[in-house]
Amino acid sequence: MSVFSLLAVSGPVVHIAPAGVLTIHGVVITNSMLYGWMSIVVISVALIWVARIITIKPQGGFVQFVEAGVEFITNLVHGAFDDKEVAYRYTPYFVTIFFFILFNNWLGLLPFVGEGIQSNNYPLLRPFTADLNATLSIGLVTMAMVYGASIKESGGFAKYLRHFFVGSPKNPLYFIIGLLEMFTDLTRVISLSLRLFLNVAIGEIVIGVFSYLGHVIAPLTALPFTLIELFIGALQAYIFTVLATMYLAIAVNHTNEHQREEHLTDVVDPETMGQLQPAGAK
Amino acid sequence: MDFAQAVVINTAIIGKGLMIGGGFIGPAIGIGLIGGNYLSAVGRNPEASKFLGQALIFVAIVELFGLLAFASIFIVK
Repeated sequence: MSVFSLLAVSGPVVHIAPAGVLTIHGVVITNSMLYGWMSIVVISVALIWVARIITIKPQGGFVQFVEAGVEFITNLVHGAFDDKEVAYRYTPYFVTIFFFILFNNWLGLLPFVGEGIQSNNYPLLRPFTADLNATLSIGLVTMAMVYGASIKESGGFAKYLRHFFVGSPKNPLYFIIGLLEMFTDLTRVISLSLRLFLNVAIGEIVIGVFSYLGHVIAPLTALPFTLIELFIGALQAYIFTVLATMYLAIAVNHTNEHQREEHLTDVVDPETMGQLQPAGAK
Repeated sequence: MDFAQAVVINTAIIGKGLMIGGGFIGPAIGIGLIGGNYLSAVGRNPEASKFLGQALIFVAIVELFGLLAFASIFIVK
């Protein structure tokens, strides 16, 4: 379905939905699935190789980049959780999902991916994250992990539901606010997956349009937008990870309750209240 | 006698134009507000510039609605 159907000249042809390119025993394999498998092989080989040759002394190149990314996300996750053991338990998943989305977004900017190579008028390869099926599955798996982990860390389904309600659930106002919070929780899957899909798919469309506008000098006109897509791909991977971490951290952190109960029994001395205390005094 | 002539109006294009026009105002204003508040906070206290990452996160959350408006082009026939 072409975008500029109103103009007399034929406009750039952009495809949003994936199209089947192979059929194996009656199962249709789409171009996104095909490129997804290729990306998975490349990402797995690259990251397993990095994990094998990593040393305490810093190295340069791709290994340093992966190390920097891992440290970045680890600091993020440890800053979000109060309890260090919980943070150590869930950091590997968030680091993995960050690198998975990042490399899938970046591998979709290679020149042979997109409208260049065509198999009967459909592109042969498309970026994996430019497919709503793919991002919906990433979002579902992530939110399933977040729900499962928050139920396990809260210690039961009832205690997990309890954290939605700010005060007591018997108060009608807090009850309605709690129901609204639960509903917002359900829309998180859709918002996470739609945000990732739309950013990558619209980037592909923009690159396609600007490649069409510069017929012969297409690499030159599409270059600024490819660089923007590099930045946007990285930013969207980071945002997905940050939001998933925040969703888990909200459900798991119980500091506010403990702080309220702990400080109820602090003894305040009326003579020294308000004066500067020497360092170390309570 | 005058017969009324049927005029074919392509309402799909009108609908798409309205959706794009109306749908991009909101996120544009929202992102401008976020940027303005971030800059005024940095102007008052230069140490607040370490929150640039969080400001960009809010920009991406707001930008979702702009992208949803853009995606509606491909949904309306």
